[in-house]
Amino acid sequence: MAERTPSPPMQRAARRHVLLATASCLLPLLLQLPPELGWGFGIAAVLVAAASWRRPLHAVFRILLGIGVLLAVVAVAPGIGRDTACALLAGMLALKPSETMTLRDGRSLVGFALFAPFATFLLDQGPLSLVLALAAVLLALLALQCLARDEAQVHEADGPRWWSGSTGVLRLLALGLPLALAAFWLFPRLPSPLWGLPERALAKPGLSDNMTPGGFLDLMNDDSPAARVQFLGAEPRPQDMYWRGPVLWEFDGRSWTQAHWLQPAPAAPMRPAGPGWDYQLDLEPTETRQMIVLDLPTAVPANAHVSIDFSTWSDVPLNNVSRWRMRSAPPAAAEPDLHPMLRDRALRLPRDFNPRTLALGRQWRREAGGDATGVADARIAERALAWITREFAYTLDVPLAGRNEVDDFLFDRKQGYCEHFSSAFVVLMRAAGVPARVVTGFAGGYRNPVGGYWLVLNSDAHAWAEIWLPRRGWVRVDPTAAVAPERVYDTLADRQPGRIGAFDGLVPMFNAGDWLRRGWNDFVLGFNAQRQQDLLKPFGLGKLQGQHLILLFALLAGLALAWMAWLIARGERERDPLLRAWHRLDAHYRRLGRGRAQHEPAQAWADRVAADQPRAGEHLGSLSRRFSDARYAASTEARERLLRDLDRHRP
Amino acid sequence: MREALRRRLQSWTRPRQPEPLPVLLRRNRIYVLPTATGLFFGLLLGTMGLGALNFNNNPALLLALLLAGAAQASLIAAHMQLSGVRLLAVSADPVAAGQDLRLKIALDTVDARVRRGLRVAAADAAVHATLDSHGTTVELLLPTQRRGWLALPRLELATVQPLGLARAWSYVWPNQSVLVYPAAEAQAPPLPAPAGGKGKPRPARAGDDVHHLRNYRAGDTPRSVAWKASARRDTLLVREYEQQLSGELVLDWQATHGLPHEQRIRRLARWVDDAEREGRRYGLLLPGQPAIAMGLGALQRHRCLRALALLPGETAHG
Repeated sequence: MAERTPSPPMQRAARRHVLLATASCLLPLLLQLPPELGWGFGIAAVLVAAASWRRPLHAVFRILLGIGVLLAVVAVAPGIGRDTACALLAGMLALKPSETMTLRDGRSLVGFALFAPFATFLLDQGPLSLVLALAAVLLALLALQCLARDEAQVHEADGPRWWSGSTGVLRLLALGLPLALAAFWLFPRLPSPLWGLPERALAKPGLSDNMTPGGFLDLMNDDSPAARVQFLGAEPRPQDMYWRGPVLWEFDGRSWTQAHWLQPAPAAPMRPAGPGWDYQLDLEPTETRQMIVLDLPTAVPANAHVSIDFSTWSDVPLNNVSRWRMRSAPPAAAEPDLHPMLRDRALRLPRDFNPRTLALGRQWRREAGGDATGVADARIAERALAWITREFAYTLDVPLAGRNEVDDFLFDRKQGYCEHFSSAFVVLMRAAGVPARVVTGFAGGYRNPVGGYWLVLNSDAHAWAEIWLPRRGWVRVDPTAAVAPERVYDTLADRQPGRIGAFDGLVPMFNAGDWLRRGWNDFVLGFNAQRQQDLLKPFGLGKLQGQHLILLFALLAGLALAWMAWLIARGERERDPLLRAWHRLDAHYRRLGRGRAQHEPAQAWADRVAADQPRAGEHLGSLSRRFSDARYAASTEARERLLRDLDRHRP
Repeated sequence: MREALRRRLQSWTRPRQPEPLPVLLRRNRIYVLPTATGLFFGLLLGTMGLGALNFNNNPALLLALLLAGAAQASLIAAHMQLSGVRLLAVSADPVAAGQDLRLKIALDTVDARVRRGLRVAAADAAVHATLDSHGTTVELLLPTQRRGWLALPRLELATVQPLGLARAWSYVWPNQSVLVYPAAEAQAPPLPAPAGGKGKPRPARAGDDVHHLRNYRAGDTPRSVAWKASARRDTLLVREYEQQLSGELVLDWQATHGLPHEQRIRRLARWVDDAEREGRRYGLLLPGQPAIAMGLGALQRHRCLRALALLPGETAHG
């Protein structure tokens, strides 16, 4: 094996380019990390780059820094997951410039740095990330170009300045674009992943499968979108917009949880009260299989199913933006016959918690009496609502829960938010012998006038109650709405997203921005195997098998490559058409072994040919003369005619 | 093993034999392959693309494809860097064997595109050039070993522009030879006696009338340098004496009788240089060749050294 020559050191300009490219690759990833890691690594990267500007950091120091990064990741985001892996990548990239000195180092740094935008997309697929990633790619290519110039000793003076350098890179991107797009739209997609996406170690905010009163607050301050809804046909009134998420059955005295064993059971029978709503739901990724649906679902796509408590589940985790076409309707009767086992579940309460509430419930039951038609049950619920309306207040400022949280809330504090209201209401109902359960999800929504669609934000998170009445089945009761309807049916101006305090000048910008984001979701993120098939429908290629798709892809990729090849061929084309024609003529003769030698004047060549082949030579002689005149003398010869004659002549 | 592989590869690549200049690099003789960086980059993109496809992560896929497209385009751009480059001519001033030959290579392009970072290499020597529509001349130092005609090696024109991901290269094999003069003997006896018998050569010494000053030439003695005048003009000047150093020399092959064949050639080469330095007219008598008439100056020197360089080797001569 030959001794490898050491790589030459980077010039200052190249080093600047490499560091800039690394920084721009790192930036989108840092924005997605927990803020303390993002800022920490960002600052560390700047310090390390500055400290190692002249000479690499000492090895011991580098090892210490590496250990520091490891510890920081473990401390802030413990566990093994996608986000921890990304944080580790970011940390290592932040330290890498400390030992990047030679051309080879520079190249490998740029290469590894390109993984950072890729990792970013595993965490977030928003347009901002893409714009930053595109800038990073551009800068990375510029850095590679700069390194290549260094290697070839193209010096700054005769090399182009950075902007003309970037036009070169942009040209390369433009050249590659047809191929990239053909591959993007047509490269066969996997209908299901070969291996799963590693989980995030840190939970993403979103509806969880349990509810502990006091726990929603994070979510209710989060103005990021949870879903976008486009109604096809009738739109529901704001007070009908209950987006049903997890249904919580089990109460342990503090927390409500789902009854997971109910999940596979098919949807309970339901009689709709009206024609219902047809809508398209774009769900933001939550990484769970839990979906939200409007009120009660009547039709869901094949890759989702409705379970017995009308909660809806996707067949695969919602890791990406997903689009669902669904129908919902308000119920006239939902599960009018309750199975005794479910009824038992819906009445169960832990024994040693909230004694005052249990006593009150029993007292109300005694006063209302028993009634098989459910009139007494309805009266108990009304009584509870009336009490809540009369004496309770809505606030987000709630002290930490004690042991008997429901007792505290109902008899002492008398203020709280949706989690407290729904939890207390359901406990009270169960105590009074009325089957009840908690439903969480979102309520309301914001209508974006720009796209004419509804936006459901995470801050719309809500919890309400359902009670079961004979013949009517499950009935939605929202005790929070009894106290603070504006908190629930909010399309009010003060909850308009994009508004800062009393200033709503930014709202149109928010509207347009969210509309763009929706287009982005639709156009790029939601593209999958199914949409790929749909894309080809207008061309009459509706039912395309895998191998046909591959053929089509190969065809288009071939065309894109041919276009590139044409560029190659054009690159060496003689510019002067007259010379081109002259060379063609020469080529004809060359095939007969009578080509013109490089040094031979046109006339001499013609004479030589004429000596062997008097007939052809005659024409050739005059053509050569005309050609020489046209090229070297001030000739009046019409170029067009000469061109034509040159092309016509055959030996 | 490596050498054999290399030869095999050479027999596949064009040109397969020396060719007349000028040579236009066209697509049928330009080769493009990814560099080590390019392979690394490809591996990177493959990993990204596979991951993106698996997770149906469209932005990541778009990113990977965009990079792949640019990399593919850079392959073509590397090709375009070379295509249309023309190697016009190759020339070299003869040097003595053992010295590096300064090979001048004239390049131009048939179109207006500027070619940056073009690497011209032969054997172990390499030089970088930037080429615009005016053309350029690069100089390559080729080591020489023995006198006589030196067939030019295959020249390699290569570039890794624009991104360093792909290397395009092409060979040009000029069917041209350059002359290598014999190396002059380092320790040689003084010049033989003049042919006309007009006494010993009189060394040129100071004290004679200075006729004029001329530029320094390699071989002038330090004592002949006019230091004051040189300092004034910022260039080395040498006094040229009016009187011609007397004595015409005939450098005769027979005068070196008794030495080995190559040694005789080297001695004569040395004498040519010495006579040239001392400004004495000289002629050369070589076996089997017409005598070279008396003369002095660069032309005479080249004529003589050329004759010496082209003398057949000992075995042929007997």
